[in-house]
Amino acid sequence: MIDEQETIASGKVTRVAALAGAGARVGINYLKHYGRRAVGGSREKTHLHEANARTVYDTFSRLKGGPLKMAQMLSIDKNMLPDAYRAQFAQAQYSAPTLSYPLVVRTFRRDMGKSPTDIFDTFSQSALHGASIGQVHRATIGDHTFAVKVQYPGVADSLSSDLAVVKPVALQMLGLKEKEVEPYFLEVKERLLEETDYTRELETSISLSQKTRGIPGIRFPRYYPEYSSSRVITMDWIDGKPLDRFAQSTARQDQKNAVAQAIWDCYHFQIHCLKQFHADPHPGNFLVTADNDVVVLDFGCTKRIGSAFHRDYFEFLDPEILTDRKRFEAGLRRLGLLTDSDSERHRAIIIENALVGAELLGRPFAAGNFDFGDTDYMASIFALGEAQQRNPDLKEIRSARGSVDAIYLNRAYFGLYSLMGSLRAQITTSRKVS
Amino acid sequence: MEPNHLITKYKQHVLEEGAPPASVFKFSKGLGVSERQFFDHFASFEALEASIWQQLVADTITAIRAGKEWQGFTAQQKLLTFYYAFFENALDERSLLLLRFPRWKCAQSSSSQLGAMKREFNAFAAELITEGTENNEVACRGKINHTYPTALFGHFLSAIEFNLTDDSPRFERTDAFIEKSVRLAFDLITSNALESAFDLVRFLTGRHWEKNTDTAS
Repeated sequence: MIDEQETIASGKVTRVAALAGAGARVGINYLKHYGRRAVGGSREKTHLHEANARTVYDTFSRLKGGPLKMAQMLSIDKNMLPDAYRAQFAQAQYSAPTLSYPLVVRTFRRDMGKSPTDIFDTFSQSALHGASIGQVHRATIGDHTFAVKVQYPGVADSLSSDLAVVKPVALQMLGLKEKEVEPYFLEVKERLLEETDYTRELETSISLSQKTRGIPGIRFPRYYPEYSSSRVITMDWIDGKPLDRFAQSTARQDQKNAVAQAIWDCYHFQIHCLKQFHADPHPGNFLVTADNDVVVLDFGCTKRIGSAFHRDYFEFLDPEILTDRKRFEAGLRRLGLLTDSDSERHRAIIIENALVGAELLGRPFAAGNFDFGDTDYMASIFALGEAQQRNPDLKEIRSARGSVDAIYLNRAYFGLYSLMGSLRAQITTSRKVS
Repeated sequence: MEPNHLITKYKQHVLEEGAPPASVFKFSKGLGVSERQFFDHFASFEALEASIWQQLVADTITAIRAGKEWQGFTAQQKLLTFYYAFFENALDERSLLLLRFPRWKCAQSSSSQLGAMKREFNAFAAELITEGTENNEVACRGKINHTYPTALFGHFLSAIEFNLTDDSPRFERTDAFIEKSVRLAFDLITSNALESAFDLVRFLTGRHWEKNTDTAS
């Protein structure tokens, strides 16, 4: 159970004040750090990042909604953030604050004309999990236990103003460049709006979980449209550990491998066969049950891709393309990563960097079997990201490139790779899915 | 002639015509009753309206008290429940509220029209405060506690004002406003934020006064 939040930042002004507060504290942490260094103490930079991450996270979680979602998104793109920030943000999924029970009753009454206790035999007054735009209650009818997700009111409404307020401050706090993160901000906004549509989410959840049924080791909760509405989604309650806690647990490596394999297969089945996938591979969206089945939750964010884009994108996983410069360049053009307006020099830089990236990210596929426990490999992925960010040549041509589809798919893969890495998984990557 | 019948007919007139009838005489005549029969129940149209607002609060309180979880609620949950139920009921009367509810702009003239409603609300709020003080949900500040119901009534009026100007879909911003402002209200009457503020003010002004008296003597 989580504590009900004691104070809630309300209105634009207090939100700005809360964020400014965090900005100031980050500054103070830096001062302490450099002050200490000036007097001869040597303090690891990671400690500094940790202190800052906590400050920033506390601020974001007090704000809920848009800012919290943004924190979560940035946490997936490990590349964009120092490790300490990422770990703090990754908590967001299950430790956000809660809203009052009377408001939950209000939502039920308005949507379904009944109180929760008219529908269920029991209904927990406090939320058991918080999420960025809703919270989860536990309910029962007879012996059956349900998880009931209820959305905060007015989330969609306040979204745009929240993000507009948060963006400049967040950029400064996290030391990111506006241009680099612009596509992400747009994506967060779009996705959050999409996630507020519970009617759509319910439909997607049901259809995608039915289509993905039959993959060994993967389970989905059953959804109950009769107890759901535009602000409420009811599904089976399933006991399990969130994936990152399972990863840190004392489970045997072969069990972790099996869990990882199931997730990997599930993703590739959805991407290749359904061309529609769960685009939020956040550890909080996966539960591992006592018999090591993986439960996939939260279809608020799914993405459909077209066949043409699918073909163009996965062409890069063919090891032969790396040696065929002409084909490689044509592939980049099709994805919109190279354009006619690029100068000769820029073109060379882009191609060279893309080659390094494609080889590195495609390596698990080329190998057939792959060990994500190989810390050198994971480290080199993050190093690549960092090097690309710092690369002055790339900086001068950095602009939003490629399709939005690619952002989603890249994000899904980054998420997937970091899940695999956290499980130190050895898996079969080339398994054919029909 | 039942008072409720008079109220129903009066509402109907206001909603259809956009304004109260020209006189009690005209209104009564239209109903086929005598003026005297009207004045048996209400001294004026204002008094009749006052009883509409009071009834809205009274009905809400009766309805929420009947809820099966009511007994187990904290004072804060009870107040929130009241608000959400009130605005749910108020949806049936929204046009009337928009037309006739005394708005902030003319707050001075509104006291008589809102008197009955205020008494109804304050009795309820006082009960919540007493309950809250008993279970330590509300800080015991002696006589100051008696001012809470009136302060909460002011907050209630601000919520109505917020709701009447709210243009968000399904009035969700009103819900958010209630959630946040009630939480803030309870933070203030629960914690020792006020004590700390007083302490600071006393500390600062005390010194100031001391100085002034020193120079004076």
